[in-house]
Amino acid sequence: MVHLLKIDLKKLTSYRTFWIVCGLYFITLAFTTASGMEFLKWLARTFEGFGSSLNINRIPIYHFPDVWLNLIYFSGFFKIILGIMTVISITNEFQYRTLRQNVIDGLSRWQFLASKILTNVLLSFLSVAMIMVISFATGLIYTPSVNWTYVFADMEFLIAYFIEIFAFLSFALMLGVFIQRSGLTIILLLLARMLELIIRENIDEYVPWLIEFLPLESIANLVPMPLERYAFQEIRDYLTVSSIAIALAWTFLFNYFSYMKLKHSDI
Amino acid sequence: METVLTISNLTKHFGRIKAVNNLNLEVQRGQVFGMLGPNGSGKTTTLGMLMGVVNPTAGQFSWFGEPPTHHIRKKIGAVLEHPIFYPYLSGQKNLELNAMIKQCPAENIPNVLDLVELTERKDDKYRTYSLGMKQRLAIASALLNDPTVLILDEPTNGLDPMGIAEIRELIRKIAANGKTIILASHLLDEVQKVCTHFCVLRRGDLIHTGPVGSVGSGAETVEVIADSENTYEILMSFAGANDIHRENGSFQVALRDGFDSKDLNKFLFEKGVVASHLVTKKKSLEKQFLEILAGS
Repeated sequence: MVHLLKIDLKKLTSYRTFWIVCGLYFITLAFTTASGMEFLKWLARTFEGFGSSLNINRIPIYHFPDVWLNLIYFSGFFKIILGIMTVISITNEFQYRTLRQNVIDGLSRWQFLASKILTNVLLSFLSVAMIMVISFATGLIYTPSVNWTYVFADMEFLIAYFIEIFAFLSFALMLGVFIQRSGLTIILLLLARMLELIIRENIDEYVPWLIEFLPLESIANLVPMPLERYAFQEIRDYLTVSSIAIALAWTFLFNYFSYMKLKHSDI
Repeated sequence: METVLTISNLTKHFGRIKAVNNLNLEVQRGQVFGMLGPNGSGKTTTLGMLMGVVNPTAGQFSWFGEPPTHHIRKKIGAVLEHPIFYPYLSGQKNLELNAMIKQCPAENIPNVLDLVELTERKDDKYRTYSLGMKQRLAIASALLNDPTVLILDEPTNGLDPMGIAEIRELIRKIAANGKTIILASHLLDEVQKVCTHFCVLRRGDLIHTGPVGSVGSGAETVEVIADSENTYEILMSFAGANDIHRENGSFQVALRDGFDSKDLNKFLFEKGVVASHLVTKKKSLEKQFLEILAGS
């Protein structure tokens, strides 16, 4: 396992694009999630009346336990960057034909795929660790009086966040394995959610129960939109077994389809 | 003798195209085995199946008497078609990666780099290498795990004459160490120069297999040039002449069994013709090859 991960990291760590894309991802992720309060202050300064109708200090976006769900939800938007990195990593192997050479040199096709999956696990894990640290730090900074019983509430969404990232990266990997060309794969990855939303709107009237089983919808369902609670609405602030089960099933299928494709094709 | 590779009824169809058809072959330890055939005759497809990148339609093969697994591939060094490496990694890093995949110690890297004379350029990116250097790096990578079997597919393709000579010298050096080498090529001369055994493929069918030595032991051809106006008629009257044809101002005389160039020379002298040029030519693999192709 570790050996396979090391092989894939050996390929990536000398690849400049990898550092640029991952650097951009983690820096953007850190700055955006940590600067929400500054953003609100900027809004209050710039737009007259914003501050008077709404006391920004009373919006508890960074207060425990809200901070967990808030930051996790918005971090989810950035996963597309990691997805693009996964696409580049796998389509390079087809473009350079190094997948073929790797197999000739003694990797099984499964081991090759596993090395890519393990990198996805690592990137997902790093995202979770990063958001965990930022949420914890900003929570401590902005929460007026820290009540330790609230600090760790809602932390279970970190699990959902991990599945969200990993499922999406598995999806990106599968697209790369099937399409094999980086440009086309990236375009499809960017359009996939939109295409699914079109399907969703069309089946909404006839089979609404089916919607939660759509692949990208299942990923989006893991972490609910949190801001509605500040408009005095009830939101789901707990994980649901069904959303996790559906997303995990898709994650398994994405990787299984990738494996089947690799196994049965001449490379 | 120990059998390294056994292929039985190996078949690969791409749609309607039969790339490899019911191939049966054996390669013994220590052989330098040439696979000859025109382009598109199924050589690379066969090697692709042997190395696990092409899924056979039917048939089996075994390495060292065992069914193939990815572990066995680690003990076989192979370069198929053209060299494949990560262009953005240096030669050294590419070899380090290959050592990880083959699970062999990285200490071998300086040795193989020395062998292919790439030590000076090892820290340059692969994409800056010339074609000859790329081929040599591929051979270095194939040798990394000290394999008992080496598979080379058109190793001199696209190289200049000096590069070709270097690679051939390298192959001979490696063969001298007792390694089994399987060499696919459409260059007959290459196979004749380095191989001990060979097979001929045509459109996926195996049409000949045997040692290279036996090819040269067939009937002799003698090349004759003489300053006589009726050389042709005189040669025609020689009892040992099987076939005569003109080629670039010389006569190619194919001899019957039991006759040799000495007999021909004596005959010409007796007829009052002095040959200014008389060369005995073993039947070349090229001739044999063309005959095999024509005969099948």
